[in-house]
Amino acid sequence: MVNLTIDDKQVSVAPEATIYDAAKAVGIRIPILCHDKKLHPFGGCRMCLVEVEQMKGRLIPACTTPVSEGMIVRTMTDEIVKARKLVLELLLLKHPLDCPVCDAAGDCDLQNLTFEYKVEKNHFTDEKFRWEIDYENPLIERDQNRCIHCGKCSRICDEIVSFGAYSFVNRGIEAKIGTPFDEKLDCEYCGSCISVCPVGALLARPFKFKARWWALNKVKSVCSYCGTGCQLTLGVKDDKVLTTVYDEDQGFHNGQLCNRGRFGYQFINSEKRLKTPLIRKNGSLVPASWEEALSLVTAKISEQKSVDASTVAALVTPRLTNEELLLTKKFFNGVVGTDSIDHSAGYAHAALTEGLKESFGITASPSEITDIQKTNLLLVVKSDAYETHPVIGFEINLGVKRKGVDLRIVSDKSGKLTKLPDAKKYIHKPGAELLLVNALAKTIIDAGLADTAAAGFEELKSALATVSIAQAAASTGVSAELISSLAIDYAKAEKALILLPIGLGYPGHGKDLAQALANLAILTGKIGKEGCGILVMGEKNNSQGAADLGIYPSAGGRNAGAIIDGCASGAVKLLYIVGENPVVSYPDRAKTEKALDAVPFLVVQDLFLTETAQMADVVLPAKSFAEKCGTFTSVGRNVQRIRKAIKAVGQSRSDKEIFAELIAGISGAKVVTDAAELFKEIAATTQGYAGLEFDKLTDAGCVYPVALSPRLVPVNAAVPAAEEGKFALLTGSALYHCGTLSLFGEGPMLVCPEQYLELGRSDAAKLGIKDGDTVKVKSAAGELTLAAKVTVRMPEGVVFAPYHFEAASINRVAIGAPVTYVSISK
Amino acid sequence: MIAPLINGLMITLKHLFKKPITLQYPEEKPAVAPNFRGLHTLKVSHNNAKCVACYLCPTVCPAKCITVEAGEDANHDKFAAKYEIDMLRCIFCGYCVEACPVDALGMTQTFELANYTRADFVFTKERLLEKR
Repeated sequence: MVNLTIDDKQVSVAPEATIYDAAKAVGIRIPILCHDKKLHPFGGCRMCLVEVEQMKGRLIPACTTPVSEGMIVRTMTDEIVKARKLVLELLLLKHPLDCPVCDAAGDCDLQNLTFEYKVEKNHFTDEKFRWEIDYENPLIERDQNRCIHCGKCSRICDEIVSFGAYSFVNRGIEAKIGTPFDEKLDCEYCGSCISVCPVGALLARPFKFKARWWALNKVKSVCSYCGTGCQLTLGVKDDKVLTTVYDEDQGFHNGQLCNRGRFGYQFINSEKRLKTPLIRKNGSLVPASWEEALSLVTAKISEQKSVDASTVAALVTPRLTNEELLLTKKFFNGVVGTDSIDHSAGYAHAALTEGLKESFGITASPSEITDIQKTNLLLVVKSDAYETHPVIGFEINLGVKRKGVDLRIVSDKSGKLTKLPDAKKYIHKPGAELLLVNALAKTIIDAGLADTAAAGFEELKSALATVSIAQAAASTGVSAELISSLAIDYAKAEKALILLPIGLGYPGHGKDLAQALANLAILTGKIGKEGCGILVMGEKNNSQGAADLGIYPSAGGRNAGAIIDGCASGAVKLLYIVGENPVVSYPDRAKTEKALDAVPFLVVQDLFLTETAQMADVVLPAKSFAEKCGTFTSVGRNVQRIRKAIKAVGQSRSDKEIFAELIAGISGAKVVTDAAELFKEIAATTQGYAGLEFDKLTDAGCVYPVALSPRLVPVNAAVPAAEEGKFALLTGSALYHCGTLSLFGEGPMLVCPEQYLELGRSDAAKLGIKDGDTVKVKSAAGELTLAAKVTVRMPEGVVFAPYHFEAASINRVAIGAPVTYVSISK
Repeated sequence: MIAPLINGLMITLKHLFKKPITLQYPEEKPAVAPNFRGLHTLKVSHNNAKCVACYLCPTVCPAKCITVEAGEDANHDKFAAKYEIDMLRCIFCGYCVEACPVDALGMTQTFELANYTRADFVFTKERLLEKR
């Protein structure tokens, strides 16, 4: 520790701290414009100039100067104030005084400092800039005239997002932040640059002129898209969520968000939200009162219950809060008496609820998100981990670039992660990941690097005896040398972490793959330690919560696949869908549609009249996450609170209110709907949640502890046979979307509005397809005409399509197998 | 005893011959001072309202009677798509005029604001625009 004096205060800080950090540690505020705690020091703006006794004669920038023993620092003398005023005058010389029409006003560092330092006149005169304002891209307005050249946008895009959309171009007075070749901005549109811009040079277009910063009510909540559990602050005015507000102190991610988190909030106050319950009368859905709708649902369920409760089934979205999931489970298991309740098509949670359950004895990942930056070697299964969980992707970027994490990507295609510095990719044939992981385990055992005392070692060893590395190399397409070097490096790394994204688009990421990966971690003893283990990344905001609360059949009930089959065969007479949109998101759309057509009574409870809701007999309008309180559990087992930001939209009711009424209607029992009360019950009955208290969950949330009982489980692996002359269709997530909810968010739809088919250059050339052409995709399940997107990341013979879209949904072709073989023609 | 009575009547008598202070309103109208704070007006320049919808007037308004909604015009500039003052709530303090950074808002000498329904007291942008 280094001791120094700042403004007569004794400070003791770590040797790598700067004067700015040291001052901050004792509550002394030094003004900054170009500094950001997340970024490397820049020292460009000269606002943070301070006086150091030992370096008299000139002023020292606090943000770039490391502390040294015995330093005596003054942060506010007349000379310093004069220097800072001069800096502000020089900035204001070029900065337009258009605060009345600038959306940053109120949240503008330059404005605040000008006010604080009472810069009322300028010693200089000059013309303002006349740069053209960029209105070309749909989300980020770039007004170079307001830019103060702090460089934060280009630095965050480079250091954290790792995209590099901006950099300084030109010299001297001509200098500005430019895009490559000064062309239209074409990036990931995560908006990180907007969040750090100290002035109004970068603004969010969807929020442009919507409200002033000071008029917004800021409500802290948790993002309702993917499982990362990013905290966000909703900007609310007049019961409308108008924007997301950046708060650099929120969460492990320091307020960073992805495109959908930052720009996808419009679904909350969307015009398309359901306002009243709907009942099907004479073939069409007509508005009805809650009493009418609920009494109809109650009557139908009671009727089925009295005949055979097992004919009632439910598909529940993992987007509900833990408290709502608890009541949902109670209703179907306890009150109705059916075990046929499931979520995420059944297969998308199996990695947790079946895989890790057998391997570790828990249905959660043993690791946390913060382990990513603490590990030495990071093994990512599928480059899609960036697309499914972009903010976890930022953590990977930071780990690789700042902490020197050795990144290894086992994937069927390249992606953004494979482009990171020194990232090693192992591109395998589609569907061969399981065999590849088994080959890794085999190599580790053969090299004598395995922990032979691990439970189940002998079984695993004998099960893997048949695996030959040479054969595996041939079937997976990854050379034997690469397999063995990856296995040895993984085993020898001091700390190693495995990331496995799961979701509706990844049918192959199920029980077996999770177990095979868990085997690697257990074999090499890389569990239960910091920076080690496996992180299974649930797709939706509360996927982990749904696994924790047991939203899957546990006593022989039908799983999601069997429910769909049961609907078609007539075994399921009443299907209750809570928030899921199986028509679009479940594989084999024709089959799902037929099943939902066949089921005699279909209840759908959702925010929107989705394709699924359009087939329902009763539609109940539910509340979005911004209209209710509760908790979500994120990927790393972090239990976080969401807070009510606005009143209910229309007559919508929260899922827990609806289920409380249904429970009262069917059993007569009165249940509480208070989130704190329900959370008490969760804490008392759910593994890991013991001891958590709703009111004591801090802003950071609470990572619940897990007790691991690791056991090696042998997994059989087979590579799906490639079909001659056909392409391997992989489904998955697009970077801008999550499930089907983001279709109602403005930002995601502006940059990624429709279904596409991504194929490699060589395949495109062979087929004579150019970017943007329409192509016919045909499988045994169906046929589609899609827009082609030609990229460099797809290996030959492999095509990719995201699964989110309603129109031309890829699930008309994809059948829910890890790989669907399709023929493609122009 | 009688003197104060006479004095009093003298005052009354004097006033009989003075110009009356009261006005025969509405036949007679008062002369309103130039800085009188009457009905608001949105000033016009180059055939457009000067207002840039900066929201400073609703921010400063102590009676919360001003509603502004900004819009983006074809040149991507900000303008007041909606500008309403609820005269039933307005206390005519004039802070809005003082806060306006572009001198877009003024107060006129119009004080006859009586009307028949509550809705009529909500002055929309069209009604507030400066008449020329």
